Amino acid sequence: MILMPEVLTILILNVIFFIFAVIAFVLSVKIFLKWNFNSTDTSQYKLEKQSFLAATIIKYIFAIKVPLFLFFIFTLDKISHVLTGAMCGAGVVDATVYGTYLLILKIINLYLFAYWLMLHSADMKEESQPYTKLKFGVFIGAFFFFIPELILEGLMFSAIDIDRIVSCCGTLYSSSASSYISNIFLIDTPVLLALFYSNYLLILIFYFLKNRYLFAISNLIFILVSIVSLIAFFGTYIYELPTHHCPFCFLQKDYYYVGYAIYALLFGGTFYGLVVGFIDSKYKERIKNYNVSIFFTSLYVLLLSLYPIIYFIKNGVWL
Amino acid sequence: MKNKINIYLVEYAINAILRQKYKSLFIVTIFTLLTFLLTSVFFITNSIRYELDSTVDALPQIIVQKIKAGRHYDIDVNLVDDILGISGVNDAVARVWGYYYFENARVNFSIVGIDKYEQQYKNSFTNLVKDFDFDDINGTATMLVGSGVKRTMQSNYYKEFFNFIKPDGTLKKVRIAGIFDGDTELESNDMIIMSKDLFREIFNFEESKATDIVVKVANPEEIATVVSKIKLMFPDTRIITNHDLKVSYQNIFDYKSGVFLVLFIVALFTFFIIIYDKSSGLTSEEKREIGILKAVGWTVDDVLKEKLYESFIISFFSYIFGVGLALAYVYIFQAPLISNIFSGYSQLKTSFELPFVFDFQTLFLIFFLSVPIYIAAILIPSWKVATLEADEVIR
Repeated sequence: MILMPEVLTILILNVIFFIFAVIAFVLSVKIFLKWNFNSTDTSQYKLEKQSFLAATIIKYIFAIKVPLFLFFIFTLDKISHVLTGAMCGAGVVDATVYGTYLLILKIINLYLFAYWLMLHSADMKEESQPYTKLKFGVFIGAFFFFIPELILEGLMFSAIDIDRIVSCCGTLYSSSASSYISNIFLIDTPVLLALFYSNYLLILIFYFLKNRYLFAISNLIFILVSIVSLIAFFGTYIYELPTHHCPFCFLQKDYYYVGYAIYALLFGGTFYGLVVGFIDSKYKERIKNYNVSIFFTSLYVLLLSLYPIIYFIKNGVWL
Repeated sequence: MKNKINIYLVEYAINAILRQKYKSLFIVTIFTLLTFLLTSVFFITNSIRYELDSTVDALPQIIVQKIKAGRHYDIDVNLVDDILGISGVNDAVARVWGYYYFENARVNFSIVGIDKYEQQYKNSFTNLVKDFDFDDINGTATMLVGSGVKRTMQSNYYKEFFNFIKPDGTLKKVRIAGIFDGDTELESNDMIIMSKDLFREIFNFEESKATDIVVKVANPEEIATVVSKIKLMFPDTRIITNHDLKVSYQNIFDYKSGVFLVLFIVALFTFFIIIYDKSSGLTSEEKREIGILKAVGWTVDDVLKEKLYESFIISFFSYIFGVGLALAYVYIFQAPLISNIFSGYSQLKTSFELPFVFDFQTLFLIFFLSVPIYIAAILIPSWKVATLEADEVIR
């Protein structure tokens, strides 16, 4: 267990999150089971009041979760200075068995909570509150993702052993590694790039066709494809090093914190893309979501494409 | 997400804060004090760590110690020749140094023996041997002392010389030749420098032994390889690199501020309860206000939003104010009182300057420890207020 101020801060906030999440969960279950908008008896009236509390709590958790996620990545980087062998967050994530699952859960929860927030704002705009039952149902589901995240986070920080030597990202993300990550490098670069850009092209086509379901699905696939291509191809150009594939190192100062921009753009683009498919909002609202999504995704593709192009212009060769 | 911030609500929130002058003042005062205390501690640890880090950089890259029965033991000087044979090693020097306990003042002096014709392992020593001559003049031995040592000796009436008590009980009179200034005060305050021969005489140290051996490696990347080679050649040694020192410093300070934070949690929790209590109890004035607002047509959501704006403004203001105060306290006034927690308890305590180190991560850290916790405390009371019935409270 490392008694680091950063870790303690995260744990303190997790305790608060836990208490609030349980309160919101209990209220959500009640609302989900008994909600009847047309009823006029006192219990429905009480439920309406309680729905405000639950919604505020969930909004509160999300509003702090987003900056806390960045802080978490920051903390991982800081712990990596103390751990022998680790050079960036990848080593810390790999230091315990919980790390990878925690990170995946955290990302899933970000999408879930953001989705909840979109539902909520769509719900509050209409007088009949058509999504109330659905949104609290979604939270009941999200709760079972959120609590394991809190528990895993506590477990991970208490399991980190300072004296143990961990792997560096250079060995974790290399083609000689024996883990599942190394399978990424088996894909040929042209195939990967073709996949990446054709996927982007698909998103563009569905954007102009305004087909919301296909647009959302292509965005969903894009999350996976873009992360794989980021590790296998674009990362090497960010580092200007053919052997370095780490998806964590570019979050550090040496690369001007570009990783935060990359992941924020990817999240923004794909999230709004998914919203288009999942929430049946008004036409004007949906067009706005389409535009936001395509804007972020295009910026993401542009930013990543610029790295190899600039490298080629500077050096005259590809890596 | 897309509902934009309502300026009128913000304006109303600010006015509401100003209306409840004493309540707001009370909360802001306590909150500012808490953030101030927390920020000061983190600023101080950051500065000391920075200072130590720069000291560590000046230290030798590798230190080889002999371990016997699990304890640090004197090392053979001959080992130096073997270590010099390892490729990549620039230089290896056998050091003699130790602590001398001065009973009168109850302090430990660190005594370092140096040799004039040797390659010095510290830059400050290189300049020293150029300027000073440790050879006996008129049969009296001489030494250089740090400023803290000089002060202690003077207060014990040793102005010109000092008497060391040798292991056999006899006295050794050593003249104080001058004051030694190191790169940092942390390094030189409690230090005495003398020739190696004198050192061996005072502590009855064998010619063939040394305290430890420092090794200089030309290429820092090769340190790990050199370490493993030395370890293979002499399995009974403990080898410390400057990276190890850095990590242990980081651990110590993380531990110290971590312990402080654990204690701080109690204060934070108390604060949480006070706020919860304060915002739960409403005066009839406030109740009427809510009633009127709802009668005028405010929804639950509006009242809730206004309350949250109010709390955010209060907590953010206190946060900024507390951090600002801490900046002034630590870097302008050099943190009286609190810095004592971190600087140890020795009589020869170093009076170091806190260098200005600005770390954004610390600001984030304090933000997460203050603003969200305050908002969490008022969340449920605000909801209770917002869902009050208009007709009930106006009545």
